[in-house]
Amino acid sequence: MKASLTRIGAVTNKEFKHLLRDVRTLAAVVLLPVIQLLLFAYAISFDVDNVPTMVIDYDKTPASSEYVRAYDASTFFKVVAHGDTLNQVDTAFDANTARVAVVIPAGFGETIAAGDKAQVAVLIDGSEPNSAKISQAYSVALNQLYDQSMTKSWAASQGLDLSGIGALEPRVRTWYNPERNSTIFLIPGLMAVIIAIVTVQQTAVTLVRERALGTEEQLLVSPMRRTELMVGKLLPWTLIAFIDVVLVILLGMAVFGVPLRGTPLVLALGSALFVFASLGMGLLISAVAPSAETANIMALMIAFLPSFLLSGLAFPLDQIPVVLQWISGIFPARYMVTIARGVFLKGSGFAELWPELLTLAGYALVMVLVAARLYGRKARA
Amino acid sequence: MQSTSPGTSAISARGLHKSFGATEAVIDLDLDVATGAVYGLLGPDGAGKSTLIRMIATVLAPDAGAAEVFGHSVTDQRGKVTPRIGYMSQRFSMYPDLSVAENLEFFATVRGVGRADRNSRAKSLLESMGLAEFADRQAQHLSGGMKQKLMLASTLMHSPDLLLLDEPTTGVDPVSRREFWRILASLHREGRTVLVATPYMDEAERCTHIAFLDRGRIRQSGTPEQIKARVPGRLLEVASAEPRRTLAAVIALPGVDSAHLFGDLVRVLWTGAADPIEALIAGLGGTDASLTVRAANIDMETVFAYLAENAPADAAAVGS
Repeated sequence: MKASLTRIGAVTNKEFKHLLRDVRTLAAVVLLPVIQLLLFAYAISFDVDNVPTMVIDYDKTPASSEYVRAYDASTFFKVVAHGDTLNQVDTAFDANTARVAVVIPAGFGETIAAGDKAQVAVLIDGSEPNSAKISQAYSVALNQLYDQSMTKSWAASQGLDLSGIGALEPRVRTWYNPERNSTIFLIPGLMAVIIAIVTVQQTAVTLVRERALGTEEQLLVSPMRRTELMVGKLLPWTLIAFIDVVLVILLGMAVFGVPLRGTPLVLALGSALFVFASLGMGLLISAVAPSAETANIMALMIAFLPSFLLSGLAFPLDQIPVVLQWISGIFPARYMVTIARGVFLKGSGFAELWPELLTLAGYALVMVLVAARLYGRKARA
Repeated sequence: MQSTSPGTSAISARGLHKSFGATEAVIDLDLDVATGAVYGLLGPDGAGKSTLIRMIATVLAPDAGAAEVFGHSVTDQRGKVTPRIGYMSQRFSMYPDLSVAENLEFFATVRGVGRADRNSRAKSLLESMGLAEFADRQAQHLSGGMKQKLMLASTLMHSPDLLLLDEPTTGVDPVSRREFWRILASLHREGRTVLVATPYMDEAERCTHIAFLDRGRIRQSGTPEQIKARVPGRLLEVASAEPRRTLAAVIALPGVDSAHLFGDLVRVLWTGAADPIEALIAGLGGTDASLTVRAANIDMETVFAYLAENAPADAAAVGS
């Protein structure tokens, strides 16, 4: 036992030396998660705001100006241009300078003053469906609000009191993420993806490197067992992955205001198990890949893509085809995404998350054992 | 060093066989290496030297046959074999980003050498090999000869009884090669057994026993003297102004077994009955006034060239 620990310690010590002397890798594993988080969080945000909006006001009355101000006042639309003809909308959409156009017909002010229902046209660039859908919804909502306030002011001008009239108004409340801010929703999930990228990618090449250096044979003539080599190699990367986890969590909380509602202990345990599972997966790749290039590509294919697309991070798991749902079950990222979101947003604990924690633990164990077995079979061939 | 019961050979292999795809690297090979020998495995690239050494070093599993090191099977008793062997692979196989001292430290630690022994052995090995001042240099910044010495030092850290060295001097400059063999000679004096593969025929003379491998089989084996004795006749060197023309003329003469160019000289293996110097001068006389003939010692290069050309019929037949 003592001899075994000595050998594991020697490997861990050596791996740290490799890492500390390889400035580029070191920078990559510490800085990449931060850069990835910032990039992903800003780029992948599904929120829509400041949509460039063009206004074509054929009416040019105080009423129409006031209507346009309602758009300007919302954070959702941003009036970037005023046009004179409809042709300019085409040009602006083509040039991507505007994605929404509000066209106010002549006579708008008169119609409203007469107490009739005025019409405006809202044109939306549909080439980006997500923003288009949201733009449409916002625009409708905005018009309703404006409509109500105009109705009230019209009623007031006519000396009517509408407050007594009963009106049914739905009160919709979104739980956990009241602003439905997608960044808050994404960051806990991104944590899982970033851990997966760092750990799988880095460990995927580690055993291949021993083979390429020829040092594998020297290790084969030593009494060191394969699992000792693997555990020795896992330890430094576990530490690095943990540093990354902490970095991502702190950044998420400080910069993006992600709330941490649950107990950090559950999150730490989940992260540890997920790190081990990912490292095990990396070792597995390393054990079977013939070259570092292949190992890298395999790592990308089986770590990055599934943890991004099949973890529930980008697409809700219950909305993807059933076959893909099954496939997502064999990649550990989905369990981690569930754990991270549960702890961060819902304040979940062991009581709710034990199935995911248990699955990750089993996953990690199986990965390392299978990797050790396959690695041994590959050597001495 | 562990004591070795008398009469136990260091290596005993029977019927070793290994194929890589359609290529038979080692074919039904027997090998016996006595304890304390410096056993040279000679042969061209692809002869099977590395495959043979790697099987004995336990890093490659044979397809068939068995091998024992100090009486322990290399396949079933690896744990008893590896502590007693030091294996140096043909390729440089140390960590390039670790220093000389760190490489020694790491490999000795995983091989179970205690801390006190590690430090004292590393110190004395580096000193005896002239590497002491480079202890803190990263392995990737060492010269070719120093890299080989580092590998040998690493191989010796756990004080093995048997050294398996796969072409340790290939690609190393002549001075470093001599230096390397000086170290091997001192290991021999300490009583260690050495199995060393080399493509250099001149290194065969430094071995106590040699085997010549070709296409997966041992073609010749014995002491260097025994093997030299298998070449009949005498070796002569002919210097002339036009060596190529001289070579053509020499081959036609009676009594000449074979001849080949050796630099600017023509080397002639003489198996005739007459005095070769007189016969050659007489036979070549008149064509070249600058012609001189002198006797030369038979070297391993000539021996193996002769033995390869005159390979026993059975060996030649099965080797193809």
